[in-house]
Formats: sequence, C-alpha cells, structure tokens
Amino acid sequence: MAGATPKEIGGIKFGLMDPETYRDMSATKVITADTYDDDGYPIDMGLMDPRLGVIDPGLECRTCGKHSGSCNGHFGHIELAAPVIHVGFTKLIRRLLRSTCRECGRLALTDEEKEEFSEKLQRTKDLGGDPTDVLKSAVRQARKAKTCPYCSHPQADIKHEKPTTYYEVQDVLAGEYSERIARAMQPDEDEEGEEIGEGMAPQQLADETGIALDRVNDILSGEFRPRQEDRKALEKALDVDLTEEDMNKLMPSDIRDWFEDIPDEDLEALGIDSQGSRPEWMILTVLPVPPVTARPSITLDNGQRSEDDLTHKLVDIIRINQRFMENREAGAPQLIIEDLWELLQYHVTTFVDNEISGTPPARHRSGRPLKTLSQRLKGKEGRFRGSLSGKRVNFSARTVISPDPTLSLNEVGVPERVAEEMTQTMNVSERNIDRARRYVQNGPEAHPGANYVKRPDGRRLKVTEKNCEELAEKVQPGWEVNRHLVDGDIVIFNRQPSLHRMSIMAHEVVVMPYKTFRLNTVVCPPYNADFDGDEMNMHALQNEEARAEARVLMRVQEQILSPRFGENIIGAIQDHISGTYLLTNENPEFTETQALDLLRATSVDELPAPDGQNDAGQDVWTGRTVFSELLPDDLNLEFTSSSGDEVLIEDGQLIRGTVDEDAVGAFGGEVVDTLTKMYSETRARVFINEVASLAMRAIMHFGFSLGIDDESIPPTANEQVDEAIDSAYERVQELIGTYEADELESLPGRTVDETLEMKIMQTLGKARDSAGEIAEDHFADDNPAVIMARSGARGSMLNLTQMTGCVGQQAVRGERINRGYEDRTLAHYKPDDLSAEAHGFVENSYRGGLTPREFFFHAMGGREGLVDTAVRTSKSGYLQRRLINALSELETQYDGTVRDTSGTIVQFEFGEDGTSPVKVSSTEENAIDVDSIADRVVDAEFTSSEEKARFLGREEPPTNLSEYAGPGLDKAQGMGAQSDD
Amino acid sequence: MDRQIRREVSREYFSQERLAEHHFRSFNNFLDRGMQDVVDEKETIDTDIGDKEGQEPVYVELGDVRITTPRVREADGSEELLYPQEARLRNITYAAPVFMEMKIIRGGEEEPETVVDQTETKVGRMPIMVGSNKCNISGFSDDDLVQIGEDPVDPGGYFIVNGSERVLMTSEDLAPNKILAEYDSKYGDEIQVAKTFSQRRGYRALVLCERNREGLLEVSFPSVSGSVNFVTLVRALGLESDEEIVHRVSDDPEIVKFMLENLEEADVQSEEEAIETLGERVASGQGKNYQLKRANYVIDRYLLPHLHEDGVEEEETRSNKAYYLCRMAEACFELALDRREADDKDHYANKRLKVSGDLMKDLFRTALNKLARDVKYQLERANMRNRQLTVNTVVRSDVLTERLEHPIATGNWVGGRSGVSQLVDRTDYMGVLSHLRRLRSPLSRSQPHFEARDLHATQWGRICPSETPEGPNCGLVKNFAQAMELSQNIEDEQGLKRELASMGVEGIPGIEGVDRASADD
Repeated sequence: MAGATPKEIGGIKFGLMDPETYRDMSATKVITADTYDDDGYPIDMGLMDPRLGVIDPGLECRTCGKHSGSCNGHFGHIELAAPVIHVGFTKLIRRLLRSTCRECGRLALTDEEKEEFSEKLQRTKDLGGDPTDVLKSAVRQARKAKTCPYCSHPQADIKHEKPTTYYEVQDVLAGEYSERIARAMQPDEDEEGEEIGEGMAPQQLADETGIALDRVNDILSGEFRPRQEDRKALEKALDVDLTEEDMNKLMPSDIRDWFEDIPDEDLEALGIDSQGSRPEWMILTVLPVPPVTARPSITLDNGQRSEDDLTHKLVDIIRINQRFMENREAGAPQLIIEDLWELLQYHVTTFVDNEISGTPPARHRSGRPLKTLSQRLKGKEGRFRGSLSGKRVNFSARTVISPDPTLSLNEVGVPERVAEEMTQTMNVSERNIDRARRYVQNGPEAHPGANYVKRPDGRRLKVTEKNCEELAEKVQPGWEVNRHLVDGDIVIFNRQPSLHRMSIMAHEVVVMPYKTFRLNTVVCPPYNADFDGDEMNMHALQNEEARAEARVLMRVQEQILSPRFGENIIGAIQDHISGTYLLTNENPEFTETQALDLLRATSVDELPAPDGQNDAGQDVWTGRTVFSELLPDDLNLEFTSSSGDEVLIEDGQLIRGTVDEDAVGAFGGEVVDTLTKMYSETRARVFINEVASLAMRAIMHFGFSLGIDDESIPPTANEQVDEAIDSAYERVQELIGTYEADELESLPGRTVDETLEMKIMQTLGKARDSAGEIAEDHFADDNPAVIMARSGARGSMLNLTQMTGCVGQQAVRGERINRGYEDRTLAHYKPDDLSAEAHGFVENSYRGGLTPREFFFHAMGGREGLVDTAVRTSKSGYLQRRLINALSELETQYDGTVRDTSGTIVQFEFGEDGTSPVKVSSTEENAIDVDSIADRVVDAEFTSSEEKARFLGREEPPTNLSEYAGPGLDKAQGMGAQSDD
Repeated sequence: MDRQIRREVSREYFSQERLAEHHFRSFNNFLDRGMQDVVDEKETIDTDIGDKEGQEPVYVELGDVRITTPRVREADGSEELLYPQEARLRNITYAAPVFMEMKIIRGGEEEPETVVDQTETKVGRMPIMVGSNKCNISGFSDDDLVQIGEDPVDPGGYFIVNGSERVLMTSEDLAPNKILAEYDSKYGDEIQVAKTFSQRRGYRALVLCERNREGLLEVSFPSVSGSVNFVTLVRALGLESDEEIVHRVSDDPEIVKFMLENLEEADVQSEEEAIETLGERVASGQGKNYQLKRANYVIDRYLLPHLHEDGVEEEETRSNKAYYLCRMAEACFELALDRREADDKDHYANKRLKVSGDLMKDLFRTALNKLARDVKYQLERANMRNRQLTVNTVVRSDVLTERLEHPIATGNWVGGRSGVSQLVDRTDYMGVLSHLRRLRSPLSRSQPHFEARDLHATQWGRICPSETPEGPNCGLVKNFAQAMELSQNIEDEQGLKRELASMGVEGIPGIEGVDRASADD
C-alpha cells in the first residue's frame, strides 16, 4: 500500500442500489455458467472471467491489470430474464404493498395523516427513538383505507406467503352462488326439522331487490352471474354471503410496476429515504456477481477444481436464467414460464439467504446445505462476530502454566522454545548495532538470536544457521532485526475466560528452560488460575506504542487494585497467609541465623537491634520484628485481623496483632491496599513479593502439615457431640409429634408442612453448629486446620465441623431430601417418616465415616453442587456476553459524563459520584472515606498536636438555644444545664 | 453380616464375568430370540408382480434365521474362523454370517401357490459382541485366550467394526406402555395430562389425554392433528353408553361428576357417529367411505399400538383401548382432585434401559426392511427380464451388512440418534470397565434439567451415586452400581399373564387375556 494516500471516512450511508449502478460498476456481464475451459483458463463472460479479478497466481486482472494478491476483484452482473424479489426486503415490500394504492401508487393516507406521520417520524428520530413503531402504525392506518383517497380505487388486501409470494385478496362471487341463494330462499328449519318462518318466492325476491323476475330466475338457474350491485341487493334481502375470496398472485414484475408509481414524497412518510433509494429496486432485475476473490475456487490434490458455494449458486442462477429466456423466446406456455420464474426466484433467494424457513435449503451434491451470502455474515463464525470482532493473531503462544515463587509478580517465565519463535523488531542504530549483530550471529536456534532481518530496501531475509555469520556482518544501522524475546521484554499474558480487566495483564519476560509458562503464585487470583493443567496465552507486542502502553497501563503491578471493589486483588494466598500467621501470631523468637534465613529472599540484608536474648544468651528477633522489616518506615495502620485481634502498625513497626488474610491477603488485605494507595504500586509490588517469600521461609521454618489425626477429638468430646445430636433428634421428634397431633402453628405465610420443614431444618442446623462448637473447643490452637481456617488461608470452621463433628443436613434445592420412592426417600424407611435421618441428616463426621445411607444422601446433596457449577458456567458466560455488548460503547468523556456512541448521556458523572474505586478509599458506610482523608491531610500539615489543635480551633461549646441543637447535644445532655453564655 | 462376609459376598458377586454381563445377556437374547422375532414380524416380502393382468403374484416367505460364529472371507474365497485380536489387527469387522430360510412363492390368483425356490441363503453379516455366545472365544480358558492373543481379563461386551472397538451405550428412556400423570400448562392454565408412550415392534406413539381448563378431556395421538374429544374416541372404540363410560373411568362420585360434564358436552352418541366424526378429522374433504375407512385404520393402527397382541381379535383390542383410555382419564381426574401426585419421571420405576441387544434389534429391523425392499426390487427386475427366480440371485447380502455395520461404526443409529456407539475407552483397564457399564440419558445436555440430573433415591443399588462426569453431562451420564442386575423383558406375555392370574391377580372384567380357568385354583 506504499504511496496510497490515506483517506478519512466521513460517513457511511446505507440504502438500496440502482440496477443502473450495478451495471455501471460491473466489470463484465456474465452469461455462461461455465468457469474454466479445458486448458484451465477462465472463460470469457463466465463466472471466473478474468475481468472479475484473478485468484490464480500468474494471471493478470483484465480490469485493473494487477495480479492475484493485489487485485481486490471487481463485481460483474447477470441480467435477469425476469425481475425477482430480493428476500432481504420481503417485509418492507409487504408493508409497501399494503399501504399504497394499487392503481396510482400513492400512499393510502390523506394529506393531513401523511403530514402527521411525517412529523411523528421526525420527532422520534430527533429523540433517538426507534422509528419502526411509528412506521408500523402508519402502515396500519393506510391499510384500513377501503379505497384510495386520491383515485378512489378500491384497495385489495395483500396476503404474503413466505418467503416471496404475494397475493391480492379480493371478494368475488362464489361459484355456487345459485345454490346459496336457493338455500336462503327455503324456509328455515328448527331442530326437529319443522319449518319455521317463511321462505321467499322468486317474485318476492324480485320485488325486494328491484331485479326483474326473469333475471332473478336466470340467476337462480345459474345462467346469469349477478353484477356487483345486484349481488349486494341479493345479499341484503336474503341475509347471505355470496362471495368467496379470490387470490390473485402478484408477479414480481407487477410489484415492480406498482412500486415505480409510488411518489418520492410518500416514501418519506414510510421511512424510506427517497434520496437514492427507490422501492422498485427491491425487485432485482440485475444481479451483481461478487468478485472471484470473494469466492475463490480451490484446487484439490488430484488437480480437480472445487468451486466455492457462491459460485455453485451463481451457476444455478445463470442456467435457469438462460432456460427462462430460451423458453420465453420459444413461446412456451404460461405455466412453464411461471414454473421457471419461481425456480429463478428460488435460486436468487437461496443465493442471498439459504436458511429461510419454509424453503428447502439449496444443497451441495453431498447433501450439505450451501453456505450463501447471509450465512457468511451471520452467527458466531460469521464475518462480523468471527472475522471482524474476533481475529486470529500472530506472535501468540499457549502452554500449560506452573508456579514459580522465585519470580516477581511482574514476571512470567517463558519457555525457550516460545522465546525463539516470538520475536521483537529491533531498529538497528549506531547505539544498538553491536547487540543486533550478536543476535543475528547467534542465528535462529541459539537463544538470544534472531529469525529475520529486514534491509532498508524492504527485503526480508531469513536468518539461518548457515547465513547467520555472514548476515551479522552486513547488518547496518537502518536495518531491522527480528530478535528473540529476551529477559525484560514486555508481553501480554491472558487466561480465558477473560471476565475482567485483570484477566489480561502485561508481564516481563524471563526466559526459562522447559516447556511451561511460569508465574508467581500471587497472580493466580486475578487470572483465577491454578496449576491443575490450566493453559494460558501469551502475546508478544509488535510496536513501541503497544509496548509502552502495556508497560505503563497493563503491567501486573498496575493492576494490584481491582476496579471492582477498589481494594487489592493481588496479595498473599494460601500458604503465604499460614506463613505470616505462624510468624506473627504468637510472636516467636528467632536467632540471628534463623532471622536472616527468613529474610534471605528479600531485599533486607541487615537486621535491626535485637528484641532480646534467649535462654542460651543469643540475640533474638521476634517474628513481628522480622515482618516489620518489609514495611516502609513511616507506615501507620490499625485494623482488626481475620483471626480477631487488633493489629497496630506504628512507624513501620508491627507492634501487636497477627498478620493474616486481612492484612496481606488477596481481596482486600489492609497492608497491601494501603501500600498501593499511599505509597506506590511499585512499593506494593516489592512488598507482596517479599511477603510471599518471607512467608514461604516462615512456613518452612515451622513446618506445616495436615493429617487425619488433626481432625480427631477426644472420645469425651465425641460423646458430647452425640449428645447434642441426640437432643436435636428429640426436639425434631417433638416437632413431629406436635405436627402429627395437628398442634403445630404455622408461621405467617407458610403452610403447616412448610413450617415443620423449616423448624426441623433449623433444629438440625443448630445441632450441627453445636457439634461444631464442641469440636472447636477441643482443638489446640496450633492445629493446622484451625490455623488455616482462622488465618483465612484455606478452609473454614464449617469444613472442620464437618470433618470432626457432624456433616449435617443434606439439602437439594434448599430443602431436606424429599424425593424418592412413594412417600419416603429410601426403601430403608417406613412411608411418611419425617425423622431427621430419613430425610438426609448426616450425623456422622467425615472422619468418623458415613453410613451407607448417609453416604447416599451426601451424594445427592453433592450432585446438586456439581450440576449447579456446570449449569452456572455456561449461563454466566452468556450473561457476560450480553452485558459486554450492551455496555461496550459507553465511554467516559473528558467532561466527566458517560455517553454512548451517539452522544446520549448515560451518566452525568462517572459512577454517579465521579470517583474511581481504585483511587479512593472507602468505608463500609460511605463510598468515600472523608474522615480519614481529612485526618490524613490535616495530620500532614502540622508537626505537633498543639499546632493542629490551634488550627482546628476550640470545639463548639454546647448551647442551650434548643434541645435539638446540633453538635453539642450529647454533651449538653451529659452536663445538664450549664452556663448561659 | 459382618464386614468380612459382606466383602466376600460382594467380591464373589462382582466377578470378572459379570462386568459386562448386561451386554451379554441382552445381546445373546437378541441372537437367540430377537432376530427371529423381527423376521417373524416381517413374515413375507410382497412384490408388485401380479398387479398386471395375466400375471401370477409372487411373494417371498421368510423362515428361520441362523447365525454362525464370526468368520473372515479371505481374498482367495476361503472362509476361516476369525478371532477378535485378528479383527483388531487387520482392521476388519468381527462379524458372523447370517443365514435365512427363504421361499419364493408364485400363484394364488388363478393357479395354486407353488414354491418356485426354497433355500437357506446368506443374507448378510452381523457384527458379534466379543464374549457373547456366538463369539469364537466364548468358553475359552485363560490359557486358550492367551494362545490366540486375547487378554484373559478383557471384559468383552463390545463390537469390533473395521478394527475399532465400539461399545453400544446403554440408554435410559422413559418407560413405554405406562400411564404417567403430570401437570402441564397451556395458555397459562394448569392442566392435567396423562401420557403413555405406546410402543410395539419399534413403533412408538405418544398418546396424551388432557383435561383442559373447561374440565373436558381430549386425547391426542399420532396421525391426528390436534386433539380428539375423549368421549367421541371412546365411543368410536365401541364403548357407547354413558353408564359404561362413567363406570369404566371410575365409580368415585367426584370423578363421576367430572365425567358427567364431559358426557353432557359430547356431540356424538353412537359408535357410528363417533367414527364418522373421527373420519372428518382424519380425512377432511374426502369421500365419506374413505373417511370411514381411514378412521378405522387410524384407530387400529396409530392409537395405543401396544394393546395389540398376536391372536387377539380387533374387536377385543378396541375395547381394551377404550378401557385403557378410561384409565388415563381416571389418572387425569385423580390428579385434578389431588387424589394422587404427579408421577415422578425420574423415578427408576418409570425408566427402561435400552441395552446393546435392544439397540441391535432396532438396527436389525430397519436393515431387514431395507433388505426386503432390495429383494423386492431384484425380484421385480428378474421377473421383468423373465429370468428364473431364485433366492440366491435376489438376495444381496451387502445390503444388510452395510446397514448393520455403518451405524455401529459411526454411532448414527436409526431414528436419528447419534453417539450410540462409542470407541471403547482404553485409557486404562478401569476406563474400559467404566465405559462398558455407562448409561446415557437422552435428555439434551444444553438445558438445565435440574431434576433429571439429581441423584434420585430410587437409584440406590442400581446406579453409582458418585460416578458421573462434571460439566454439561453431569447427572445425565451415569454408571451402573456394582451389584446392579438388569432384568430382561419376558419372553412370553401370555405365559406371564397366566402366571399372574395363578397368583391371584384379577383382570378387569371384560378384558381379554387372563386365562380365567387357571385363575380358579
């Protein structure tokens, strides 16, 4: 495209195309259905005419003179022997037929009505509404007209038989009119067959209708067909209907003639832009033939050519077209002509759309339905969704992922094989020429090598093992070298489904051996990745703008805060959290060696002053001190940890409290969150990396494992659990007793049965909870399962309860298990047994083991979960797609409003409050935590508290002006009536 | 029982031979009985010869079928015993030749019937299940098996077509010939419907009996568009008087009240009238005689076909149909009156499993029909050319073979079902075992169908509560439980009825079938 002037598209207008325009833009008329001659050359005026563009290399386009690859192809045309309807417009054609006059072609609306609809249409358009409703009502109105308001011609109703046939429906005299009259003249009969009322003699009829008697007789004998007036008179006199519906088929040519009469100004009222679109153009007289490039034929291995589906369809059209013309010239009977006409219509219809209901799809010889024009565009694999919105790309890689805690969260381990395949373009200059030469010298197979070089004249040369030395010499400034990915390059990394922004992030490359992508485990939450076989995609960026953008906007560290809830989504997970918990919870002491070992993988290389000495007289450092080494020196923070104690950080020192999920975890760890917001993303990144490695060291120092014995409790505790469950059983039995005695009172809005179910569920739920509490009481604090649950690393106390105490009630769709055999769940129970165990209460613990019945009930409850996950994933995907489609074009403008592409305001301020969740800290109650921001600002201004107090001024003294006086109210109440001033 | 003993019993029960037992039983049953049944159903192949003047009609009588064990025909024409391993290695089909007794008979119009040719001919090749009775390795000892290259612990139960091992998936269908009452909604109203999938000889017809919002009963069945008034239909079947109809439905006063509403609305009173009305429905715009003929045909052909029985007169069958419809009506009313709950479609009592034998029977039926059409064509052609009509020249065995092998090879079964046969999962031994005992529900996997995916309490002991895939097929694909035992369809229905009667089961008075004499003892 060198030398081509870039042009700007000012606008796009959609409309109908004039058949003359088809002819004008056509490179050739196509008259033969053949494609190639015996020598394999395209036939002139055939479907593969070289004027329509070329696909075979070596041939020259006869229109533009270019060769295959550079010639885009040119349209041709087929002159249709008779007009046919374009299926895409059948609804519009129907609407026009119904609303315009058969005779004069004018819209069957009075001028006032027309004016009114034009105005309404303009108004809806101005308001950005949907004009179809207005148009429909206009058509409905016009259809009501019995006669044309201009030429007074009666209007027939139009019947549309899908897809492309239209009938005029008219009332005409029924064939058996004489019988009907005769029957009506007979006296009526009642149910027993007795005559009631009187008949009508012909004479009487003649008198009443004013038709001569002999004419009446003629009519009765069926010799004379009554005229319209006579018919009406007869119908009135005898109270019969003498008409039947007659359907007159409208040929496309009739419709075309009809549409030609529709004046331009009437079209406006129908919502058609008369500027450049005429309704008769919806009836095709000329069929454009798409360029050869749009329907390339492929040569099979055996040298046979296989044509595109569109070409096949065009062949059909031309054949029928030819036959039609021959038959018409030969003066074939009307019947045959009509059949051929219909066949031509069918072929043109299926050429446009081959999936019309009511029409059998045109099929390939093999029985496969042909893929014609609209099939190319429609649906997921269609041109729009498949080729334009979704593309396949080069420079992408996909492989299995595996964890590597030694990487920074910003990095990704890239296998050598991938790095050698994906290249970055180096623009060689004086400053990097040595490096460029080295890459070329290494060749394509050694790692930091190069695959291609490009000379300033545009020639691209492949670097091979053989020519690499030679090429390296030749590399000059101005050349381009496609070098392998090396450490520090930026790439985009992605895991599907890409549900949020953090599913695609930029990482820095670390080239590594073996074949998997390596990630730091802390980036698992944003990608929702695990390492059970997950695969991820990587994309190498190909220009500087993209690389810069990726580095600034997309790097993992820039995504630490989630725009969804404004807190960090990247942070310590699982064992990291157990690690920091172990390190800080009981504040253990470490000797110098141990402390340094813990901090080995961090940037801390000096220990602070020791916290004390151990029994052996060695200096010791506490866990909190070790952890504090990772914090910035001026950090102040106070919050409650998930294990429940108050955490206090003063001047970068962890004074007390446990560091666990709420402090450093992903999804809102306070420390990480504060670091990101108050310091910088980089500081937060460093912190997360270091916490992760410190935690791993810590957990390795203490050792951490979970076994079956960790879930056992003493026999006495088990007895207590059994007691608790037994007492719950008793309560359930009581409930059932009251229910059976009909004494159970129903809860408001519930039936007695529902009430019983609810109460039983409640009782059993409590039973499990108390079993859990009993079990919890017997766990040591250093129980690993407890540590994990309490610190928020993994699992919950409920999991522990189920493992040690009692699994509890199994539920399907929120109810106890009720389905199964008639009146009972399993055959093991008596019918109508309402007891806990018959409806899926599992009294045993996982560790104790379930009875077969319990196991089965548990499987029933478990199955629901499995089905739910399976169904949910597919549903949420679809929901996501719809949401994305609905919101994709909304954009925040520079004036702060959110608008769609047409400029319509959706929100006057982004998010209705103009704040970004990422930039603003929030509390539970307020979207913006104004108090803490104010405190922080004020604190920063003053060095001493006196100064601050002086600035803030004295606190409002309480007043006695009113009992409801504002700020001092509480104090006033406390002090009673004070002084008056 | 103590745990040790239970374990012992379980081990003994779940022996190696039983892993694919259900396949063997079903397929053996098909070979022994099913094939002959299908041929007997077909009985004859009629031809168009004799339609013209002066020609004697010709037809073919089908006799006994016989199947040998798998053979392979070599290029030199010799036929040898084929063992599964050889079939696998040579990419050929493990199939046995099927022979059938056929008689070409001419005459009957003016001349007496004469047998033109009678012989047992090879009609095609039937793929044989590895390990079934007709399999060449059945009864081999482990050493013998090793000798011929077979794995002694291989469970069998699959076919080998073109060298690939294919299992036929057991499919789980709703029980045919059973009244299922349930709620449905039509135009926003809740209505009661009694459904029956009536099935006989591979023909399946859904009969619906609906109680619409006006409380009127309507029946719909194939070949009649829309629905027919219940009373009209029952009267057409010969149950004429009001009293009889009401009595047949129920004696319950409330149901009688409902029934009377229906009878009041009825617009036909006699059998003839009813058939006329029906005729207008099934052949509107046609001649009166044709309408009557068509109405009678429809009643006898498409309405509740499962009530037909060999050797039972049409008259009696009709009254049975009337009674059956009354039972359906009763179910509707009971549902409307909350006398019963809607039937649970997922209850295992309402399920039937189609195992390999049943599937092969369906396949063999269509294949035989195809063969019959071919034989007819060949006979007519041979007759046109005045050739001697011989059985061997008119039977082309490829027709049947192709029709049997192709569905097994591709999984595209008759009736448009796909994925019926699957490549045996040879990932590991457990994979094979699991695959052979797998069970598939025909419900679409794209719809939620929460109830159908649930583990139903009636699956206890029959279907494994744990083994089901995760993802879209969850709960629809199941696996048999360890001690599952699949019962077979009984061979002799009359015998069963006699047996039941002898055990004290009383039939509805006026219904055929129960041998009253034996019920006395």
